[in-house]
Amino acid sequence: MKQTREKMKMRKGAASGMIAVLVGAMLLATATIPTASAKLYGDANGDGKINMIDTTYVKLIIVKEKPDNELADANQDGETDVGDVIWIKLIILEKAPFPGGTITAAMIFFKDSVDPAYKWTGWYVRKAGIYETLFKNDENMELTPELATGYRRVSSTKWRIYLREGVKFHDGTPFNADAVVYSINRVRDPSNSRHNEYDFIDAIYKSGDYTVTIITKEPYAPTIASLSDPVVSIVSPEADEEDLDTVAVGTGPFKLVEFEPGMSLSVERNDEYWGGQVKLESATFEYVSDPQTRAYMLEAGDVDIARGIPQAEAEIIDDNPNLNVINKETLRTYFMYVNTEKEPLDNVKVRQAINYAIDRDQIVETALEGVGGVAAKSVFPSIMPWSANDDLEGYPHNQAKALSLLAEAGITDTNGDGWLDYKGSTFELSIKTYTKRPELKPTAEVIEAQLEDIGVQASVEIRDTSALKAEVAAGDYDLALYAWGVAPTGDPDYFLSYHFHSTGKYAGWTKYSNPEVDRLIEEGRTTFDYDDRWEIYRKAQEQILEDSPEIFVFYLNELVGLTNEVQGYEIYPNEITFLTGEIYNTA
Amino acid sequence: MLNYILKRIILLAPILLLVSLITFSILYIIPGDPAETILTGPGGAADPKAVEEFRVKMGLDRPLHIQYLKWLNNVLHGNFGYSYMTEQPVLDPILPAFRATLKLAVASMILSLLISIPVGIISAIKQYSLIDNLSMTGALLGVSMPNFWQGLLLILLFAVYLGWFPVAGYGENGDFEHLVLPAITLGTSSAAITTRLMRSSMLETIRQDYIQAARAKGLSERVVIGKHALKNALIPVVTVAGLNFGYLLDGSVVVETIFAWPGIGKLMVGSIYMRDYPMIQGCILFVALVYVAVNLVVDILYTFLDPRIRYETKAKAK
Repeated sequence: MKQTREKMKMRKGAASGMIAVLVGAMLLATATIPTASAKLYGDANGDGKINMIDTTYVKLIIVKEKPDNELADANQDGETDVGDVIWIKLIILEKAPFPGGTITAAMIFFKDSVDPAYKWTGWYVRKAGIYETLFKNDENMELTPELATGYRRVSSTKWRIYLREGVKFHDGTPFNADAVVYSINRVRDPSNSRHNEYDFIDAIYKSGDYTVTIITKEPYAPTIASLSDPVVSIVSPEADEEDLDTVAVGTGPFKLVEFEPGMSLSVERNDEYWGGQVKLESATFEYVSDPQTRAYMLEAGDVDIARGIPQAEAEIIDDNPNLNVINKETLRTYFMYVNTEKEPLDNVKVRQAINYAIDRDQIVETALEGVGGVAAKSVFPSIMPWSANDDLEGYPHNQAKALSLLAEAGITDTNGDGWLDYKGSTFELSIKTYTKRPELKPTAEVIEAQLEDIGVQASVEIRDTSALKAEVAAGDYDLALYAWGVAPTGDPDYFLSYHFHSTGKYAGWTKYSNPEVDRLIEEGRTTFDYDDRWEIYRKAQEQILEDSPEIFVFYLNELVGLTNEVQGYEIYPNEITFLTGEIYNTA
Repeated sequence: MLNYILKRIILLAPILLLVSLITFSILYIIPGDPAETILTGPGGAADPKAVEEFRVKMGLDRPLHIQYLKWLNNVLHGNFGYSYMTEQPVLDPILPAFRATLKLAVASMILSLLISIPVGIISAIKQYSLIDNLSMTGALLGVSMPNFWQGLLLILLFAVYLGWFPVAGYGENGDFEHLVLPAITLGTSSAAITTRLMRSSMLETIRQDYIQAARAKGLSERVVIGKHALKNALIPVVTVAGLNFGYLLDGSVVVETIFAWPGIGKLMVGSIYMRDYPMIQGCILFVALVYVAVNLVVDILYTFLDPRIRYETKAKAK
């Protein structure tokens, strides 16, 4: 009897200990969950916007035509009266601060620094709205002035850039020609790991307080576009260069508040932003590498925006009445390098046959769940103004054509085993890829199945990025599926030179060389008239598509999940701009 | 005793040297070029000229043995090198990352012991009862369930549906609410192993003659189990729990990734992907040191639990 009671006690002790731990955990957790603060005071009619209609609405409330509500009390004095009508007008006139609230966003990549001139950190600090460049690509990939107001090409190697006046850095220093020369020279310094990209500049100097002159070594059409790369963000010359790793002094709509390397970054509104009213009061970025976790953070209400959510989760999020998924084509092309030196891939007909064998729509429907991308035609996504996709035929899915092209190249089923053979042995193709981007592996597997469908024995091999790069560079591959942002600055020269000019580094991977394409790329680089240049690149795109040293599969869609309360958010196809002065949160 | 500890500490040096040599060699055997990888932007390009400059700057153009000796010389002078990625001293990120991992490891360990020891004991003294079957099924489930899946399920239930905890993140320096879910994920899977071990070890112990003798003396069951049996039954559990703790301190990549916990596992894997050699070397050396140190502590702990070992070491010391 006594024994059993002892045992009971012990069991109870253990159980209640565990329960105590769990309950304690729950209590602590509920006590510290932060709640979102601001509401859109002034949005009297509750449509998520503040405009003149709200002033009318408040007047109607005053004359008791409409019921009073909390949001109508724009100036927060506890009453809805004429004061609120005036206050709403002040907000509209940008004389009173916009009650834009705060946003928390789950982002993908992080850097350990906030210095835009350091490697690709510029991308991340620009996304946070801290730094700006002279020119930028807008949401339609049109190159537009940002801190510049315009430019004039004086001669084929001399550019004059006119700067915006009245702009101030976050530390109060005025923005002017000195700041521009200083910032660009920081990147041109030989100790900067990206200085080679700006080696085309021979000299840059101030030719007035708000005018800068750039002399290039040779005629270089992408000059202006190259100034939109965030690496040449304009930094305050007064900031101590040693500190720029941790201190950010830019001109953007947001100022850096806190930065935890690899974890989070927070910003607050820049009240003196040159571009007018910044609606959002503050924002926090959380860097989370796992896509599923980012989606859950959004679903749990921990964040208001989640970038790069998994395609499989998009539908679930969209079905949630409080959440939305927006989706836009980016400049990221998924394509396969082809080893054009390896038999029989050295035969253009074989490369074209592979192109015809691939059903790109099926890839989008299956591997990308129908939302993750758009079937590709040629190298440039259609959203890019330089894309000639509308004029190109591309390679529609056509198995018969693929088989006849292969037969012409001597690839047929000679031994009757159901697989195609080349020179007496089975024709095998391996598709090598990596897993850093989640779309790659499923895409490679669908292509594998499509190739097997026409009798090509295909296989998928996964490597880690560095290992794959080494193998492909050494020519140890058949097909290698990769993803590239094809035009970070919007200019077509960057990708075409690297990949299709015979001296380009990645043409070295495919061993592609076509003197006609070389000539077109060189001509495009020195042609300044937009229409002429466009026509040159159209020809280049056409020729490259025919030669097929790379097989273009799809253009990635960016999938962003957000709450219904986030307003004014826009996806930028170059994945460079994220937080702007237009975004606000009504929650 | 002191001699024993001293001897073990002296043994550390060759172990760490060997670890560093092996890591260094493996790094150079695996394909992939750090210069190329690190200078690749989000777009995908790595400028060939920049890659060449980087190689020279970081000494990657020198022969392998020179690179190793240079590194070793620096380490002996207390300089663990600079990360290729950030160009900052490698210890800068290692120490905070290890702190985060330590926090998680301690929490999971406590949770794991809080579950496994009582449940293991109860299962043993109530062998084949309902409670035993339930806890063994639970343990089997805990062992077989992959961490990433368990982590995601916990997030779905406790963060997405119930909203009790944040989904992921480190919060204000790894605060309690951010710690709970990853600690449960790691703690329960290590609890599963320890529970089974606790149970079998306890079963073996309570069948020994001296336990019968203790019962015959008329001691209460609480004293018999709690005092006489537990101490002996704990010895294998301490070994495994100690090893497990050392393993937890290496950082769990999967759990740290899912929960965006900035621990050493994530740091290490991230630097392996980037081929950030100095950072990998630093992490591995650090982790090896911690692992060996934990093992040493476990060994010392033994001598308190098991007098036989104490006498053996004494005899050897003589």
